[in-house]
Amino acid sequence: MVASILVNGLVYSGVYAMLALGFGLVFGVGRVLNLAHTAFYMVAAYGIFYFASTGFGMPLAVVLTTLGIVAAGIAVYKLFIEPVREMEATVLIATLAVAVLLQELVLVFFGNEPRHVPPALSGFTQVVGVRVGNQEMVTLVVAALSLIGAWFLLSRTKLGLAIRAAAQDREVANLMGINVNQVTAIVMGLGLLLAALAGIAVAPLFTVEPGMWMNPLVIVLAAVVLGGLGSLKGSLIGAVILAFAEVSVVFLVPGGSYLRTAIALLIMVCVFFIRPEGLFGSSIAEER
Amino acid sequence: MYYGRYLLRYLQNEILVLPSRVIVLVFVASLLAFPLISQDPNLLRMLIVTALFSLYAVSWDLLSGYTGQISLGHALFFGSGAYASALLSSHLGLPPYATIPAGAAVATLAGLLVGIPCLRLRKHYLALATLAFPIMLTGLVLAFPGFSGGEGGIWRIARLTSTRIEEYYLIVGVMLVAVFALWKVAGSRVGLIFHSIREDETAARALGINTVRYKLFAFALSGFTAGMAGALYAHSSAARIVAPGVVLSLFMSFQPVIWTIFGGAATIYGPITGVFILYPLLDTLNVVIPKYRMLVFALLVLFILRFMPHGISTWIRDTIERVCPSCQVRNIATRQACRACGVELRHMQP
Amino acid sequence: MKSLICCLVSSVFALGLSVSGQVIRIGVVGPMTFIQGIHHWRGATLAADEINAAGGITVGGTTYTIELVRVDSNEMQPGPDAVSAVERAITASKVDFLIGGFRTEAMLAMTEVAADYKKIFLIAGAADDGLLKGRVDKNYNRYKYLFRITPVRSTYLAQVSFILLRDVVETFRRELGISQPKIAIVAEQAAWANMIVTLVALQAGTPVDKGGFGGQHVGTWRPSALATSVAAELTAVERAGAHIVFTVFSGPVGVVFGRDWGRLQVPVAAVGINVEAQAQGWLDATGGFGAYTATAGIYATGVAVTEATLPFIDKFQAEFGELPLFTAGTYDALYILADAIRRAGSLQTDAVISALETTDYVSTLGRIVFDELHDPIWGPDYITGLGVQWQDGSPKAFWPREWQPDPAKFPDLVIATPGTVPYVIPPWVKDHWQGK
Repeated sequence: MVASILVNGLVYSGVYAMLALGFGLVFGVGRVLNLAHTAFYMVAAYGIFYFASTGFGMPLAVVLTTLGIVAAGIAVYKLFIEPVREMEATVLIATLAVAVLLQELVLVFFGNEPRHVPPALSGFTQVVGVRVGNQEMVTLVVAALSLIGAWFLLSRTKLGLAIRAAAQDREVANLMGINVNQVTAIVMGLGLLLAALAGIAVAPLFTVEPGMWMNPLVIVLAAVVLGGLGSLKGSLIGAVILAFAEVSVVFLVPGGSYLRTAIALLIMVCVFFIRPEGLFGSSIAEER
Repeated sequence: MYYGRYLLRYLQNEILVLPSRVIVLVFVASLLAFPLISQDPNLLRMLIVTALFSLYAVSWDLLSGYTGQISLGHALFFGSGAYASALLSSHLGLPPYATIPAGAAVATLAGLLVGIPCLRLRKHYLALATLAFPIMLTGLVLAFPGFSGGEGGIWRIARLTSTRIEEYYLIVGVMLVAVFALWKVAGSRVGLIFHSIREDETAARALGINTVRYKLFAFALSGFTAGMAGALYAHSSAARIVAPGVVLSLFMSFQPVIWTIFGGAATIYGPITGVFILYPLLDTLNVVIPKYRMLVFALLVLFILRFMPHGISTWIRDTIERVCPSCQVRNIATRQACRACGVELRHMQP
Repeated sequence: MKSLICCLVSSVFALGLSVSGQVIRIGVVGPMTFIQGIHHWRGATLAADEINAAGGITVGGTTYTIELVRVDSNEMQPGPDAVSAVERAITASKVDFLIGGFRTEAMLAMTEVAADYKKIFLIAGAADDGLLKGRVDKNYNRYKYLFRITPVRSTYLAQVSFILLRDVVETFRRELGISQPKIAIVAEQAAWANMIVTLVALQAGTPVDKGGFGGQHVGTWRPSALATSVAAELTAVERAGAHIVFTVFSGPVGVVFGRDWGRLQVPVAAVGINVEAQAQGWLDATGGFGAYTATAGIYATGVAVTEATLPFIDKFQAEFGELPLFTAGTYDALYILADAIRRAGSLQTDAVISALETTDYVSTLGRIVFDELHDPIWGPDYITGLGVQWQDGSPKAFWPREWQPDPAKFPDLVIATPGTVPYVIPPWVKDHWQGK
């Protein structure tokens, strides 16, 4: 039982963490609550489905999909979000409209029937007595590599320094000669890159359908605030907590597995009662 | 006779001088006179839903637009109002005039229950915590299908009135009265305090305002209004069924936000404009091009917000009216001098 | 905006006046941008074309042709759209009858509208008992307008799936020597599934001679109907040591289940209700991993339930290139309606209802006779449904093959539908339990 929870929880953690890190980055630097984040993840899953079914090789399909997503995301940001960036509620609704737009475009082009993407590695392996699909392993590896890559970029490069500076204090970073607008666009691209990779990694695991962005969106939002807005470490830990909460519900309360999202959110709300600023958020975040 | 003349003069001096007031007058009059023009049940039903959703959108505007307490889970209030009245109606057989106030009361309670723990949360934390509540209530509804009807919902709900026209006048009447009352609240000292909480809560507290009490009041009032809309919806001819997939969905939570931001936040008339443009549009698109309706809808919202980020009604008002720089009285944009103090307006930029 | 709608409405109205007299308007209700609605429409158009080509419907000397009106209920999206669509169809498009429908909660609301306007609504696509039970029997005058054509109500669907489960349990005993197979239940969280889940959980451990399955119930899992992965649930099922997993799915989670089950080669045999597994695209949707899934179904390749079945399936496949989904039962609904109108000799609603109530019609699904709830009677000689298993890339029927509906009373009565094949335990399951 413990082993099952551990293994399945890890897979979900990897996916949620990729999404939450990207979302958290965009929020931290751009102060944009991007409700379309997981919609791009959904489009990436369809991208890989389309390119894989039209006979491109897998590597080329991955490259084309990620490039397409990043380009489309930056274009949307420049066209619709940046001009109204100062008005938070307007940004919220604009990103929601983008999410609905992406969903409807996918509906028009692919229809609503669930699609299947062949796994990169089929079959399964027994890990400590638990049956784990090889594709789950691939997903986990992709997640680990992306997260390590993101960590390396953020902590060891000059760009990473600029990103972290902008995340900490946008105005001061601007005064220090960092082109904040440019950094924001780069971060938008980086966040969507993570979303696209997550979408590609889970496409063979989850059903590819136009509505697949809703549930991850709720979880990612919850993970990011649970960890504390603006704290990247918090986003990752929040994602891991919620993933394990969901998986534990499935194993411990089998008759209630439909309640897994509700219970994960209940945990988030309970944490808020104790720490209103999330686990790793700073209580003065508001004043910035 | 005297009152008649008084009314006429009031009309001439206070309403006809400003295009926005004329628009409101024409809007209310045409809403009330609509059944004289057409009694088509489909149009009436569409307007009934539009009126209900206006009330729902205004309730969001009051809480989130005015006090800045962004709620992304407003379906909780709409849904608890709808569920409470539907449950009372189908289990106990109570008539609508008893269940609707009860639904509104339950939603008020929900507003307080959510409001108290959320007092400590700021901005985005609040937004996302509220997002969670309708999802958790959905879990509760699904967990007790015997009582709540589960995902299939409740359907043995008494009808509001026997004819469509009566229902139309009842709902439109309730909507107009409630909105007028909220407009008065928003324009009063309370409304001013709401604004101040949004702009700078610390400063408001420093001035000796008990912001906690006012925030809770905003939650309760917003919950009451949304709950009333939900309860009326449950009994209306548009619903006939109260199911979690409809009244507690994520989409139901986002809808009032879309309408209000689209129309213009913290204005009361903004959300109404938003609903009266967007809902009939969506309903018509569903007949004309069902496949592309949401696509058109999303594009429209995106472009309007791109070019009118403060909302469409705010944009229109700022285009057709000018504020006098010296006495802050509003004037029609074509006027050359202020109607109150006579200051020249001609070269002013909006 | 308002004037635009007025204009639309009045033009449709004018159109209706100018041609009425020779036309019977029938609203086909369904989620028209979704596969279920598309099949609603396809089944209905096929029937309407056939009836019109054969000279239409003659009533009292006047010949009517059928005109179909597409009613997009947008049922999959939450909101008041379904009610609007049906009311608009009745008041603006002036439809005389309604057929179709899919989701229970939308159907409850839409049938209320039909009852308000006293329009006959032939349900083709929703199984929930409560659509008719508690309505037609409790308040006949209000709800007499509602009839169900397909599928049989969920109590009967449950009965079929129980028989299928018993078949699989027997196969396990016979082929693998497991005398008390362990049974797990995986059912989507939906109202219609609750009763089935409770009954199976109750009967799984009951000995065979007392009417149970003679197995052992090891747990019930209820994923959301919209879950995108059930790998965790399946791991839990395997850990519980189950041999057989009884499934109850109507939504997309059925595809998810089929795919994860085959991909992870979980050593349990899946049987029960899985609506998605009735569709032609099942193997594509599951990436081929859905092979050996067994479900209660309506149509299977090469199985003639009645003499009407194969011609319909062939024609449907020739026209649209796939097997009909159960929502294509609008085809039968239209024929049954035409038959009732002819027998009533009138288009008067009450006369047609009386005629419908005395229907005895051999449809593509079986012989349709309505009971007092306006539900089609289930059982031998009436509609039975099929047990379908995906074998060699196509849906094959494995039941009713040697079915004895009542061995105690009628030991000689054995139902065997031509074209059925035996049930096959998935090879990896067989290997696992044989200890290979």
